[in-house]
Amino acid sequence: MSPTFLSQAMTVARRDVLRERRSGEVLWVTLPFGAVALLLIPIAISTDTLTLRRVGVGMFWVVVMLFGVLIAVRRTTADSTAQRDMVALTGMDPAAVFTGTALANFLLLLVFETVLGVLTVVLYDIDLSGAQWFPLILVLVAVGLALLGTIAAGIVATGRSTAALVPLIVAPMSVPLLIAATQSFEGLRLGKSILTWILMLAVIALVLAVAGVLSARPLQETG
Amino acid sequence: MTTAKPHSSSVWPWYAMAIAGIVTLVASFVAPPDALQGELSRILYVHVPAAWLAYVSFGVTMIASAAYLWKKDLKWDRIAAASAEIGVLFTGMTLVIGMIWAKSTWGVWWTWDARLTLTAIMFFVYLGYLALRRSTDDLEARAKRAAILGVLAVVQIPLVHFSVVLWRGLHQTPSLLKPASVDMDTPMVITLLVAVVMFSVMYVAMMVKLVELGKLEEQVILSELSSRTPVAGSAVTAPSLGGDA
Repeated sequence: MSPTFLSQAMTVARRDVLRERRSGEVLWVTLPFGAVALLLIPIAISTDTLTLRRVGVGMFWVVVMLFGVLIAVRRTTADSTAQRDMVALTGMDPAAVFTGTALANFLLLLVFETVLGVLTVVLYDIDLSGAQWFPLILVLVAVGLALLGTIAAGIVATGRSTAALVPLIVAPMSVPLLIAATQSFEGLRLGKSILTWILMLAVIALVLAVAGVLSARPLQETG
Repeated sequence: MTTAKPHSSSVWPWYAMAIAGIVTLVASFVAPPDALQGELSRILYVHVPAAWLAYVSFGVTMIASAAYLWKKDLKWDRIAAASAEIGVLFTGMTLVIGMIWAKSTWGVWWTWDARLTLTAIMFFVYLGYLALRRSTDDLEARAKRAAILGVLAVVQIPLVHFSVVLWRGLHQTPSLLKPASVDMDTPMVITLLVAVVMFSVMYVAMMVKLVELGKLEEQVILSELSSRTPVAGSAVTAPSLGGDA
């Protein structure tokens, strides 16, 4: 990997993070939206502490998967075709643009997961057994979801109904991530080994990273 | 003055579909009822071929998508799209028929069986594929984007399958809802094979018609786009005499 590739990717990531700092879309819109969802679920299911403790982790991951997609869509709806053309004309490596975008999405998703995770522990009285594994699981899921969201956002970039299409594409494809994430926590709760699930999260991230880098150039060519 | 030649469309697929449908229906009713499940077992002759063809359809979509990315020929895109449409149809049919059978046999519409869950996920993934195709009129962009999703969708199937199987492996298998081991008599096996062959004929016939339709659709999109494209000088209006009317 050449330094140029890395510096290009970092430039794109910095741009996306800076854009988020200015707009505050994730921090002030998506994050509160996810928090509201976590508040609504007990009202709909049950406010019994035992029930909430049992379903809490699952609900947290469902909210992360469904609302986290909005973080990937955010960039797609913000970029116009002219902006994408301009980036292409600068001669930047499409794979570096993809990597940078995915990196920014990853950082934003990690913040999103962490804040909602703390809120879930508070609201649902979550069992904290095996808490030393939580950061690794959160990071791996954020990597997988960021890559998946970035690929999907790239695929639907210039079409109609972009904001609705990305979640439709990402949600069913995020099933392995959802299963691995929830079962990791279930394994920790039951005191079982979670290495299979950690490995699965890593494999998913690897497959998506390869797919994203390989598809970056053909996707850029479509405008 | 000459009249425009009407678009030639093959008629045989319609006959093939009708014949295949009738043969499947007749074979399903000629086969003896199952000793345990009775008449309900006839669902098998539609459910199994539909599920089989759903997987074949998505496999063809993947191969055609990869071929498009390699050759950049819209013919492959039309094949991929047609096969995905048929795949979604057969997957939907598999799910609905499976649910009817499950309700009658196990007492519930849905069980979280690994294969069932995988089929439902595939249904939505390819629904997304079809929705993506409807999101743009740019034929090249549509083909390329759909091709990438068509390949990615199949690449992720082993991941989904493996995760779902592992997930179900953690839980106790249903005791009351567990299906009995299937031991089929020869007439039933023959009927099932006939149904699979007939469904395959239907698939080929539907592919021919849908690929034809895809080509016509492309022509319509192109003619609409060309009618919208401004011609040189269209922004210039003809000079008119000034003064109050």
